[in-house]
Amino acid sequence: MAVDLREEAVGDVAVLEVKGRIDSSSAPVVGERLTALLAGSGRRLVVDLAQLEYISSAGFRILLLAAKRAEEAGSRFALCGVAGKVRQLFDLGGFLDLFPISASREEGIAAVR
Amino acid sequence: MTTVERIIANDAGGLEEIVRLVDELAAAHDLPAGPVTDMQVALDEVLTNIVQYAHTDGAAHDIRIRLTVSPETLEAEVEDDGRPFDPLTLPPPDLRGALADRAVGGLGIHFVKRLMTEVRYTFVDNRNRLVLTKRVADQGEAHGSGSS
Repeated sequence: MAVDLREEAVGDVAVLEVKGRIDSSSAPVVGERLTALLAGSGRRLVVDLAQLEYISSAGFRILLLAAKRAEEAGSRFALCGVAGKVRQLFDLGGFLDLFPISASREEGIAAVR
Repeated sequence: MTTVERIIANDAGGLEEIVRLVDELAAAHDLPAGPVTDMQVALDEVLTNIVQYAHTDGAAHDIRIRLTVSPETLEAEVEDDGRPFDPLTLPPPDLRGALADRAVGGLGIHFVKRLMTEVRYTFVDNRNRLVLTKRVADQGEAHGSGSS
C-alpha cells in the first residue's frame, strides 16, 4: 500500500499522520479513515502531511470532502506539515487558502481547540 | 536511454503497477525525486481518467504505456482504445470559491499540464495517444554529475 496512516490522540484532538502517497489507489483508504475520525459532531482533527510524498487530485477530493463534512458537523479540522512538493501541489490546485493550514503539528492542535 | 513497455488492464491494479515501475526506473537511473514525483502524479491523473471515463462498455481494455528514461527527460506514452478524448481541450478548473462550492473536476488535467514540460495528444488508428514529457534537468544541476 502506498500510504501508511498513524493515529494519535492528544487530549481531545485526534492527529492523523499520513505517510507515503495519496493517489487514486490509496485515496479511498485515507477517505475512510477521515470519515471515521470526523463521524459525529464536535470532533477535532489535525491531519499531519509532513511525511507525505505527493498527493494527486484523487487525494484533494477526499480532503475537500473531509473539510466540508467537518464544517457541516461543527467539527474542527486543520492540516499541517504542508511543505515541499506537497505544498507545490496545494498551490497548483489553489488549495493553500482554502484549507486551514497550520505551520506545525502543535499549532494545528492549538488551532482546532 | 531505456524504454520499458507495459500493457495494463483498465483497473486500479494496473495503476499501482505503473507507479511501482516508475519508482524502479527512477532508482535504476538515479533520477532526482522532483521530476519523478511530477511524472507519477501526472500518470495517476491520466490513467485514472482512462479507467473512469474512456470506456462505457464495462469490459476489460488494455492500456499501453511506454516509459522512456534518458539523462535529460522522462517520457510516458499512454495509449488507450476508448472514445476519442483530447484532455488538453478541457477548460481550466475554477480554482477560486469557498469550500462549500469547490469541486475538483478538471483538476487532474490541470495538474498534468502544469507539472509536465510538454503534453501532446494525437488520435491514431482509433487510439488515444498522450505523450507526457518531463525535463529532468529543469530541477537544477545538483544531481548526476560525474555519473557514467
